[in-house]
Amino acid sequence: MKVDSALIEHVAKNARLQLSRTECEAFLPEFEEILDVYKKLNGIDVTGVEPALQPVDLAPNLREDKIKASFSQEKALANTKHKKDGYFKGPRTM
Amino acid sequence: MNTENAMTNAKQFASDVIIGLEIHVQLNTKTKLFCGCSTQGSEEPNTRTCDVCLGFPGSKPVLNKAALDAGLRLALALGCTISPKLIFSRKSYFYPDLAKNYQISQHELPLGAGGKLALNDGTLVHITRAHLEEDPASLIHQGSAGQGYVLIDYNRSGNPLCEIVTAPDMRGAEQAREFLNRLVSVLEYLEIFDLGSCIIKADANVSIAESGYIRAEIKNITGFKEIERALTFEVERQKLAVQRGERLVQETRGWDPAAGVTSALRLKETEADYGYILDPDLVSVDITNNMVKDAQANLPELPAAKTKRFVEQYQVKFEDAMILAAERSLAHLFETVAKKFDSSFAVRWLRHELSAVLNAKQTTWSAAGLDERLLLELFELVQSRTVTDLTARDLLQKLFERPFSPKEYVAKHKLASISDRGELEKIAKKIVDENPQAAEDVKSGESKALNFLIGKVMHQTKGKADAGVARQLIMKILER
Amino acid sequence: MSVAEFVKGVHDGQIDVVEHIHRTLEECKIINKEYGYLNLISEESAIAQAKLVSKKRKGAKGALAGLPVSIKDSICVKGVESTAGSAMLKGYIPPFDAGCVSRLRQAGAIIVGKTAQDEFGFGSFSTNTGIGFTAPKNPFDRLRSCGGSSGGAAGLAQKLSVPHVALGESTGGSIVNPASFCGVVGLCPTYGRVSRYGLIDYGSSLDKVGPIGKTVADVALALKVIAGFDEKESTTATVPVEDYPSFVKKDVAGLRVGILKESFGEGTDSAVEKSVWGAIKQLESAGVDCREISLKIPIEYGIPTYYIIAPSEASTNLAKLCGLRYGAEEKIEGDFNTYFSEVRSRAFGKEAKRRIMLGTFTRMAGYRDAYYVKATKVRRLIIDEYKNVFKKCDAVISPTVSILPPRFDEIKNLTPAQNYLIDALTVSPNLAGLPHLNMPVGKHNGLPIGAMLTTDHFKEGVLVQLGAALE
Repeated sequence: MKVDSALIEHVAKNARLQLSRTECEAFLPEFEEILDVYKKLNGIDVTGVEPALQPVDLAPNLREDKIKASFSQEKALANTKHKKDGYFKGPRTM
Repeated sequence: MNTENAMTNAKQFASDVIIGLEIHVQLNTKTKLFCGCSTQGSEEPNTRTCDVCLGFPGSKPVLNKAALDAGLRLALALGCTISPKLIFSRKSYFYPDLAKNYQISQHELPLGAGGKLALNDGTLVHITRAHLEEDPASLIHQGSAGQGYVLIDYNRSGNPLCEIVTAPDMRGAEQAREFLNRLVSVLEYLEIFDLGSCIIKADANVSIAESGYIRAEIKNITGFKEIERALTFEVERQKLAVQRGERLVQETRGWDPAAGVTSALRLKETEADYGYILDPDLVSVDITNNMVKDAQANLPELPAAKTKRFVEQYQVKFEDAMILAAERSLAHLFETVAKKFDSSFAVRWLRHELSAVLNAKQTTWSAAGLDERLLLELFELVQSRTVTDLTARDLLQKLFERPFSPKEYVAKHKLASISDRGELEKIAKKIVDENPQAAEDVKSGESKALNFLIGKVMHQTKGKADAGVARQLIMKILER
Repeated sequence: MSVAEFVKGVHDGQIDVVEHIHRTLEECKIINKEYGYLNLISEESAIAQAKLVSKKRKGAKGALAGLPVSIKDSICVKGVESTAGSAMLKGYIPPFDAGCVSRLRQAGAIIVGKTAQDEFGFGSFSTNTGIGFTAPKNPFDRLRSCGGSSGGAAGLAQKLSVPHVALGESTGGSIVNPASFCGVVGLCPTYGRVSRYGLIDYGSSLDKVGPIGKTVADVALALKVIAGFDEKESTTATVPVEDYPSFVKKDVAGLRVGILKESFGEGTDSAVEKSVWGAIKQLESAGVDCREISLKIPIEYGIPTYYIIAPSEASTNLAKLCGLRYGAEEKIEGDFNTYFSEVRSRAFGKEAKRRIMLGTFTRMAGYRDAYYVKATKVRRLIIDEYKNVFKKCDAVISPTVSILPPRFDEIKNLTPAQNYLIDALTVSPNLAGLPHLNMPVGKHNGLPIGAMLTTDHFKEGVLVQLGAALE
């Protein structure tokens, strides 16, 4: 696979990161070197192997449908200055 | 173009239209899918939130057992095969209504797959998948497009949804509507959906033969009526475009309910890539054969089976049976009335009289919330001929305005039918005497005049007279 | 003084908790000036808590009554800024305690502050700091790293003279690595043993909270307090919690320890090898049956597997950080894509961006199967190989890190890929969710060397038992 600046830019866009030209240029060889590390996995056959989600078998922890106390509106909004009339304020979507 | 025109055309070309639906149903659990915040209650913004549904760093999701049960029942009721494991994935995309910028959904292995729901004409709508996921927050847009901001309310964030994806098996907007009716009926039977407060949303893909079935996907249509309107419009739009020689392209469109049109959405190229990973904050849940068997055994008799049984057991017409079986509580009422009185009485008073009242009030039997016993009391009065049908119809209407005991009401307002023939004859005699012209006309065989006289008797008695008896008496008087 | 002796002193009323916390806080401030182990010293709340503990009969009787504890910055403490070492979370004051923190509080422990770390845990030297944060310095040589990512925790555990336990967090080695570089005991428990509720996620299927302290007995006591099922977290285990401190005095004779063949030889500093062999001899003389074992797949494939799974998870965990609701915020302008991108580009540090990029790539359509999905399968093979080894032995021993603590100027010259290789021995037990322990086993040129013991799932007791035999 070819690693080029177009791929880097595409990934950055997907990740909602704006990379400067310098950042992008610096990242390119690093990315290639890391992909070389990843390439090692080509050496191992995983046919028929189940993916591991967690490393330990854990019993599912299901919650009963019982209402718990919610945050007060003030508490919910305490960590932001972007708020208005009990709402959070965010950037536009249109 | 208006919707009516579009509808006519849609019917004309129905077999050439292909529609598939992706429906989001909000399950009526008390708490959210992954936290203990209430799904109902205060509408004050951000008063039903916690660290989990706000996506605070450090918070962790814990699955609501009731949501899994509801999803399992729904998938089974739709005839789906249940996956042996319940696994959640993170569906990543950035949007201001997503608390974590990923939605906890199911991707690899949906809870249910390979189900079906039959329509009236035998069309089978295949259910590709049914899975659980969380609802995003709600946004209110402030200012005009290109400037301004959004206000975010996380009360809805994390509500439990079941997404149902169908194969493109529907051949027009009407079938899509029928499918939705059938689906809601199943949801109501399972008691996992609250028609009053829970919302149905759909994405639809629509294509027509003339274009070589090039699909348009219409996103995010809210509510029954809108879904049908949007589909009707879209089918017509595609047909017109082809007629005009335009080439359709595969695209995503939005529905504008105010303007009544769909329009192409500009999609960011990145939006299609959800970068799914298994959600490592959640453990996979084994859905054992026993769990499935138990859930299956506890499913109620579903609308389709009930319709069939009503036809066989009560000799009810299929159409009537279908309407009576569409609502669980109405079906129950029907069986009660049919057993207590008889099935044709039940059809007449429930399928026709009660339905008319409910339709006029734009409600359903269960939503109206009337005590079944009051209705049965009224029917007893009808059956014993204590009140006339006319009085009963009037009382039926009144019952839905303010409930009361029909028996006491009839006694209090002296509404019992006049059973004393002598008394009724006196009244009839008086009416005939007061209307000599009409009496003459009756004698010369004018049925209009007879009805006029009967009407006068009914009016005089405030509907308490039996119209048939009144008729006999008038004829008897005039023969003399 | 050991933690147990200190707590006894508090129980017996011989130690004035309030006076002691004042002294501890003063020492923290002095140490912090030189070494930078704490991002924040929570002086006011610590004093308030100390007063509460000394008044409360129940608190004074708690298993950690009056004990000063420090908390890695990525673990939420109610009312105390918790940033995970990132400018992105500057100002985030969680309205709740992490599961482990509430257990510490219930046991009467007193939180003195939030310790320094690599941003979100993304590093092995605590040098990948967030914007505006500084790297903590090695307690034995300030020109060197104290390891990472729980570098501040390990450094403070070494340097603070009063009894103290630090809570660290490990995703790929972030407890034992800094413990090794700082010459202290670090215990990373089984995945799911300690609640992750309130832990600011790095890789959710990998993250584990564990104690760092001066002695095995100290960390065993702390682990007993913080371990156990938590209804607020879906991945905590219901396996009963053992009485870890009781394992300290248990005889190790007859236990079987596998010497990890692949961890010696090329690439491993000879001084490190020598010290670890010394530890093996020590175990043997105590009656432990030590013999060579091999973990081919974990050693060969651990690094690529870890550096795919961890960033894949991290890139989704960090998606929520976008300038809304908490943390870094800017003036709301432009559409959401622009706003999110701007905030994220300004507030994330270099390594955070790198791992977000890697993780976004490895789960992107078209690459997902080759990287993310494949790595989750290789992870299964790694777990299976360990499970096989534990049929034959009770623990595995190896160096914790194959090098001595490097100088900051040396670290600077490493490429990211070379940097990732530092974790060669620690990533696999972390991928397999196995409990592992760093024991200081020697020094070279005044710099500490650590040996790592790894046991099967939920066998923390055996770790404590073997660790104590090396003290």
